[in-house]
Amino acid sequence: MITEKSAMVSVTNLTKSFGTVVAVNDISFEVKPGEIFGLLGPNGAGKTTTIKQILGLLEQEQGEIKVFGLDPNKDDIEIKRNIGYVSEDPLIYKSMTPRMLFNFIASIRGLDESETTKKLQYYFESLEAVEYYDKLVATLSRGNKQKMQVIAALIHDPLLLIMDEPLTGLDAKSAKVVKEVLELHKERGGSVIFSTHILEVAEEMCDRIAIMDRGKIIAMGTIDELSKMADKVGADLEDIFLKLTNQDESVNHIVTNLRKMMNSKKQS
Amino acid sequence: MLSNKELYRISKRVYREGILQGQLQSAGSDQARFLEKIDKDKMQRSPDIILKIMSAIYIAGLVTIPIFALITIHSTLSSGIDSSWVTFVGSLSISGFLIMQPAVLLIFSFMFTWGLMSGGPYKWIHTLPIGRKDIERIGFFTFLRSINVQLISMFLVLPASIVVSIVLVLGSEISILSLVLLIITSLLLSIINLIFDLSLLVIVSRKMAIIMGDQEINSRKTNIIRVLSMILYMTVSMGAMYLIQIAIAKIPELYVLQSWSADTTNIVNIILSIIPFPFAGGYLITIMAMDFSNISGVLLGGSILGIILFIFLTYLIYKKALSTLRQITSTELKKYSKTKKEVFVTDIEIKTTGPTQAFLKRDFAIITREMSSIMILIMPFMIPLYMLFIPMDEQLFIGPAGLSIEMIVMLFYVSMVTVMLVVSLTNIESGGSTITASLPISVRDQVKSKIPHFVGTIPLAYIAAMFMRVGTSQFTTMISFALAFLPAIPIIGLASLFFKSLLFGKMKHKIVLEEIKNENKFVKHVLVFVFTFVLMGVFVYVSAFGFLHLGIAEVVSAILLYITYNIMYPKQ
Ligand SMILES: Nc1ncnc2c1ncn2[C@@H]1O[C@H](COP(=O)(O)OP(=O)(O)OP(=O)(O)O)[C@@H](O)[C@H]1O
Ligand SMILES: [Mg+2]
Repeated sequence: MITEKSAMVSVTNLTKSFGTVVAVNDISFEVKPGEIFGLLGPNGAGKTTTIKQILGLLEQEQGEIKVFGLDPNKDDIEIKRNIGYVSEDPLIYKSMTPRMLFNFIASIRGLDESETTKKLQYYFESLEAVEYYDKLVATLSRGNKQKMQVIAALIHDPLLLIMDEPLTGLDAKSAKVVKEVLELHKERGGSVIFSTHILEVAEEMCDRIAIMDRGKIIAMGTIDELSKMADKVGADLEDIFLKLTNQDESVNHIVTNLRKMMNSKKQS
Repeated sequence: MLSNKELYRISKRVYREGILQGQLQSAGSDQARFLEKIDKDKMQRSPDIILKIMSAIYIAGLVTIPIFALITIHSTLSSGIDSSWVTFVGSLSISGFLIMQPAVLLIFSFMFTWGLMSGGPYKWIHTLPIGRKDIERIGFFTFLRSINVQLISMFLVLPASIVVSIVLVLGSEISILSLVLLIITSLLLSIINLIFDLSLLVIVSRKMAIIMGDQEINSRKTNIIRVLSMILYMTVSMGAMYLIQIAIAKIPELYVLQSWSADTTNIVNIILSIIPFPFAGGYLITIMAMDFSNISGVLLGGSILGIILFIFLTYLIYKKALSTLRQITSTELKKYSKTKKEVFVTDIEIKTTGPTQAFLKRDFAIITREMSSIMILIMPFMIPLYMLFIPMDEQLFIGPAGLSIEMIVMLFYVSMVTVMLVVSLTNIESGGSTITASLPISVRDQVKSKIPHFVGTIPLAYIAAMFMRVGTSQFTTMISFALAFLPAIPIIGLASLFFKSLLFGKMKHKIVLEEIKNENKFVKHVLVFVFTFVLMGVFVYVSAFGFLHLGIAEVVSAILLYITYNIMYPKQ
């Protein structure tokens, strides 16, 4: 049973390595009910690895993870009943149609037929995916596959949504809808953990943000707190992000070199 | 234009890409872990090498056929049988060997080549600045690479057999000139044969690849056609091998059975010798091995003409193969018929079922549509098919109960098919999905959905196999043995399934069937095979003491199995 309501997820001193690569290095954070928590960081920072461990999809090595007060390596079934997960790559059965897929999911989750039907109709209509309901998943475009993943994560009204770059591939309208859904979810007391590379989205949506770099959380807090840390009060998240990940100078350097190179090419 | 050497080097990338794509396909949601593995483990990178060597060894084994034929020609010739008849029978034996070569190449190399014939692996090459002609040649080299070991073996078989027979007998019996001619001819013939067989393989693989289609088209109809053509392919190739083997074994008996006059034989010889494949080569070798003794010039001329025709025929087929390769490497090829009817959705509606049934439905959708699980559909047919082609042996019986060798072979064959089914069925669980990974899955339901395959399908196929012998004298004995062993079939199937999930899955409340404990994959798979075979071995051993013992063993193991099931996958 789900007991502790104070923190949806708490991660303490989590470390995970693949061979010699330390993908996640001694990180700790908490996600509270009614909070949208953003994970930011350059490619390979360890966001996906962190998320997979919270779900119990990767073996946990060091540190402690509690989801709803439970251990993902032991009580993963109980945890999964209350989580909606959108993975980085939309790996869904390609030889099923969404109809078969959602029948399957609803059967496994033991959901109510008429209630789920209503929700599904609503999501399919608002994400403009109705016409794909009987098409094979293999034939859907990247964005439409992503929609299926998102709907699959929402359909059972989970307490916690864990989304790894959920907006990848979505068109503007669908992205807007998903963002709205996340806001609604939060208003009803649910929590969201999501990773993204779109800094505007993070700035707009997240209550708190953790910036990861090379497996470590190098900064965490609200936008205001982060901008203070970066000595850039009032700046936008992009500047803060580049400053905190020590990439601001190297970006300038790269841009200058790029200009030079392109110009010399034009001349020759 | 790049040099051939460079292109051959590039073809290695294409070939690896083809293999890797296949592996990734079957790794499914496990791709990350698989890639981590492949980084460390060199063996994982060349999963094909063992198969390659094995089929090369099989091909090399054919060397005995011409050696035996040549030696027999000599011994019969000296025993005074009419020389035209000896020429006839000897040539038949050698020709049998020549036709066996492409058959074996087709059967054993097919698995390596048809994946390359779909065009998939060549796609990325088009993004590189390489000329069209070069890409075609890369296509050719990639193909060569996929069966290089077999080809070397194949090329050497005929010359090697000639050398061996020279050392054994011919050397002391025929003139130096004939020996030299014999070696040169065998080398020449070997080369032409190689090109001929290779081209044939290209064309047939391509046909098969077209039928098998791209992995992306997951239509049910395509898959059924795939299954049917696979079964047809297996039936034809197994049947052909069977017939050829019988023919090769029976041909020497013909030596003493001359039924026509020498004149008729001469005419038949001349006619056959002109037929380019396989007879012309068979005759030429035979003529030389007989040191041209008592051979008419017409026959020699006929077989040389036949060889020239064979070269011409090979040239034609080679051209055809080249154009086939050209098609594959050109990307514009893909012309799918876009006649799919538009589906209009009227209702979005959820229909739920129990979890076990949901798994069954999902499995059905995948099995009937996906290339990677095609074996699950084919496997059951293999059991009766096998029965059709294993030789009947009525003499050999073992133990007091009189179990025939044939029956034992059959039982182990069923065990093998069962393990293969276990492996493919459990692969469904890892192929696909973060979706499954995020669902609260009860392992018991998941396992339950696999049971029908072992309790229903395999036993049915096994009984069907027995009916392949209906009407023969052993049918009644066979069917009673078969029925006695019937309960053992699902028992070993389920035991094998549980054992695999024990080795690969996490216990208790985890998804067991997904391959979570993925280290030492190869060793674990071998263990599953050994476990299943040993289990079947125990049943066979016990049955030697009589059916009552077998029955008791079956009841006891069924009870044990049920207990294991409840311990491993408890109700929640
Ligand atoms: N299965 C794996 N095997 C080996 N190394 C891995 C594996 N998965 C991740 N890594 C490594 O762990 C590190 C963190 O990867 P992770 O996928 O968590 O990054 P990420 O922050 O999600 O990046 P991205 O923004 O590109 O999605 C990387 O260095 C990656 O190479
Ligand atoms: Mg990631």
